Parts: sequence; structure tokens; C-alpha cells
Amino acid sequence: MSETKALKIHNLSKIFSFSVKDQRAGWMRNLLKPHTKAVKAVDDISFSVEHGEKIAFIGPNGAGKSTTIKMLTGILFPTSGSISVLGLDPTKDRKRLAYQIGTVFGQRSQLLPNLPLTDSLEFFGTMYDMPGKEIQKRMAELTHLFEMDSFIDQPVRKLSLGQRMRAEVAASLMHKPKIIFLDEPTIGLDVVAKKSLRDLLLKINRDEKTTIFLTSHDVGDIETLCDRTIIINHGVLIKDLPTQELSKTFAYEKYIDLIPEDRFSAFPELSAGMRYALKNEDKVTVMVDMTKMSLQEAMQKLLNIFRVEDIDAYNMDLETIIRHIYERDPDRQ
Amino acid sequence: MFKELRFALYAIKKNIQNNVELRTSFLMNVGGMAVNNIAFIILWVYFVKSVGVINGWTALDIIALQGFTALSYGLAYFLFAGIRKLPDYVATGGLDRFILSPKNLLLRIGTSWFVPSTLGDTLFGVICLVIYGIITSVTLYQIALMVLLIILSTIIFLGVSTAIYAMSLFFTDPESVTNSLYEIFLTPAIFHGGAFQGATRFFFTFIIPSLLVGALPVEIIRDISMSKLSILVALAIVWLIIPVAMFNKAIKKYESSNFMTFGS
Repeated sequence: MSETKALKIHNLSKIFSFSVKDQRAGWMRNLLKPHTKAVKAVDDISFSVEHGEKIAFIGPNGAGKSTTIKMLTGILFPTSGSISVLGLDPTKDRKRLAYQIGTVFGQRSQLLPNLPLTDSLEFFGTMYDMPGKEIQKRMAELTHLFEMDSFIDQPVRKLSLGQRMRAEVAASLMHKPKIIFLDEPTIGLDVVAKKSLRDLLLKINRDEKTTIFLTSHDVGDIETLCDRTIIINHGVLIKDLPTQELSKTFAYEKYIDLIPEDRFSAFPELSAGMRYALKNEDKVTVMVDMTKMSLQEAMQKLLNIFRVEDIDAYNMDLETIIRHIYERDPDRQ
Repeated sequence: MFKELRFALYAIKKNIQNNVELRTSFLMNVGGMAVNNIAFIILWVYFVKSVGVINGWTALDIIALQGFTALSYGLAYFLFAGIRKLPDYVATGGLDRFILSPKNLLLRIGTSWFVPSTLGDTLFGVICLVIYGIITSVTLYQIALMVLLIILSTIIFLGVSTAIYAMSLFFTDPESVTNSLYEIFLTPAIFHGGAFQGATRFFFTFIIPSLLVGALPVEIIRDISMSKLSILVALAIVWLIIPVAMFNKAIKKYESSNFMTFGS
């Protein structure tokens, strides 16, 4: 590939329009001349992705994540802006692009439900015009890599959700795509299945240099899989930074846990710069705004108020950070 | 093109295998449809015998009519049943996976589904036409003409289905609309051919092409009518080209949704 970027998105927007009922008008008018409303699902976003990067593309429900992925893969046509995926325009080169990308939608299966998994893998290989011998070789490779030996001959409908998701990812990798788009791949999986799927994706990224572009609500996916996080809300790109730096975003906020000697019976007013995050008889958590007060000062003040057996100070976890970012999305709530 | 067709045939094979796995359901579907068609034809033959010949149409013509419509319907949806799932794919977002495949989109959708009962229709259609051929002692020329007419009727079935189901890309609740439109096309196609005269004949030939898949082929075979054959060939070409162009335009309207679906 001669192109320098795996993905290049410039001023991308997507507007959906639909009819809405006008409460003041009669049913006949609503039927014959409905009002239409336009919603900007994706609003002028731009970013690029290098080959081999692992990107988490996150945001709350309805933020525009899936719409963006669908435009990147050629499912939806953008209203405006430009997209280049491996140097191809998904709106014009759908078929050529399909040979080079893989997709997994966590809520949707691409497999043949009544036939053994081998048939689905063979189906994908044939669809991508792979020769018979190459299909067999790739199937053996993926079966080994994804540890699917125990269920490879079972009908897909009889697989557990964890097994099925592994099979979905394996099927989407049959043709060795350069980029894999995953939309909520760990949805509904238990912790063991989630870990197993994450490990496999890391392995594929390391061994085959596959670029990973993932949407997920699971912080574990973001933390363990992705080295860069792009946050979108209300269709607008609000953060694009290395995942490790996400925690620094709210470094000015610290949390202090207080465990009582016996039980906390009263919760007095706190000084400016501190607020209760949790008020329980057996545990109190206080959030400290470091721009207004040092950690040492906060601890001293708290120890003057409460008699404690144990005290612990820590940064906000990633899940809370992300929630804060969503909530602070400016002017769009 | 060769790769596309080879994969389309492979997809049909896999869909059949996928269905045959559910053996009882498969056999009941095939047998049930054949029995259903036989009951229908018995009804029509009794009707014609009771009221006599209408506008030159005999009981034997009714058998041929049912033969042509059942056979072309069976063949069309044996090969391309997925087109009838298009409203469902549009409503649930199931169309996404076909857009993501590196194949011709219309072919991929058409060959994404298999309906076992189409085998019953095909079998029933062949039996009807064999009975008609034996009783009327058709010539080799008429047999060749029959084959051509079956191909043309199958193309028209596919074209009309594509046009109707492509409309689902324009509506929010596409299934009920497209199913109603399809019934408007199919129901007159299996009615007594002699009932359509004058304006109704024009309407159900040129506007809604119901008569093109049954009544017209019967009349062409019976009367060896080259003028009617020319009309049928011309309309089959129109019904092949326009729906494909319409689908390619309509697909740009697709707004994928996020329902849970299972693949094929």
C-alpha cells in the first residue's frame, strides 16, 4: 500500500431526516403534508489513523459512533465531507474496499446459523475469491489461533455467545484484512470471553499488523486494547488523545476514601474544593478539586472531621473519566 | 461477471444446505406447497367446467396458466428468494452485511435466502405443463417456445420483485407496503386469463404486468402468436433493465438501523 494513512476523514457529516407529527395540525394534514426534521448524527468530524494503530472510537448511545463506522465501511453515504480508507473512497469503491477491510457487529451475526462453523468460514473465503487451498490453510490457522477446535464442527446456532463472537471475528479475518472495524464486539460477553477476545485482537494486531478500529462501551476494551481514544458526542469529536493520557484529563480531581473506626454517624459540610462522592455509614468518598486545595490540606481537614481507621487517595478511574467527558460535552446537552 | 455468477451459485447451494439441515421443516414446505397448488387448480378446473369456456379459455388453458406461473415463480425464487427479504433487511439493518461483501449487491441480496416451498412450485409447474403438452400433443417447436416463455416469465417475476422490493428503501414501514404491491401483481396472474379484456387487459399487461407471467405465455403457445411473443420479449427487457437501475438509485437512500439480526 502506498498511501500513508489507513484512514483519513475530513469534515465528515451525516444528516438524517424524518417526518414528525405536528400536534397542532389534524391527522389528515400530518398524513398528507408531514413536517420533516433533520438530525445531524455526525457533525463535521476530521481525524486520521496510521497503519497498525488500535483506535477506540467511543461515545454514549446515540453519539454517532455506528453512523461513522457505517460511513467508513461504505454502508451509509455521507451528507458532506470526504473519507479515504486505505486510499479508497467507500462511496465509490465499495467492492474494492470490501476486499481489504473486515467488520464485526456485535449485535449482528454474519454466519450461516444451521451449518457447521467450517461452512461459514469457507463461505467467507469463497466470497473473497480465495483459492480452495488457501481457504483450508487460513481456516486451520484461525482455528488454531482462536482455539476453535472444540466447536468448529458444531452448527453456529448451537454455539455459546463467546464462541460465536470468536467465530465472527475469525470469519471477518479470513481474507487477512488490513483494517478491522468492530462495533461493540464484547457486548453481552462474560469476563472470561471478553479477555479471550481482547487477547486475540491484540495478537492479530501484533502478528498481522491489522489496524483495529473499535467502538465499545466497555472501558476494559479501551484500556487493554487501544493505544488511542477518540471520543464523540452528539456527532461532534470532543477528544482525540492517547488512551494513557485520558486519565490525565481529570488529574486535577482526586478521590479520598475514608473507612471509619466504628461507624460514621454525621456528614458535616465540607470546605470549598471538596465534595462528597459517597456518604455511607461504613465508607465516605470525597472528591477534591486540586485547583482549589492541595491533597495534604484536604486530608488534614478530613482527619479533623472524621475518626478513621484507614484512608486512601487515588485518581479517578477511566470509566468515571469517560463519563465526566460525556457529561461535560459543551453546549449540547 | 463469471466470478459473480459462480459465487451466486455457491451462495444458493449453501442456502439450500442451510435449509435442508432442518429436514422436517424442509420436506413439509416442499410437499405442502405442491398440495396447496393442486387444490387450487382443482378449484379452477371445476369452475371452468361449470361456467363453460370464457373468451376462448378452456380448462386445459387454466392448467397451462397455473403451470407457467408456478414454474416461473418457483424458478425465480429458487434462485433469487432473497429479494423478497429486502424489506426485512432494510427495516432491521440486515442489509449492512451485503453492502460489506465484495460482490454485486443485488445478486448478493437475491441469493441470500432460500425458500423450500419454491421446489414444490417448480415441481407442480413442470407437472402442469407436461399434462398440457401431452393432452394437446405439442410439437417440438412449441416445446422450445415453452422453454423460452418460462425464461421470459422468470425474468419478469425477478424484475417486478426487484422493482417492488426496492421501494422498501423509500419507506419507514416497508414490509406491509411492498407485500400489498406484490399481491396486486401476483393475484391477477393466477386468475382465469379469459377474464381480462379491453382496459383491464391493457392495465394488467402494461401497467401491472400480471398477465405477462401466465396468461400471455398460454396464448402464445396455444395460438403460436409471434406478435404477442414480441410484446413479451420487449416487456421482459424493460422489466430487466428498469428495476436494476431503480435498485441502484434506491440503495443510496438506505439508512441502516440497529436491530439484532442473524446472518445468511
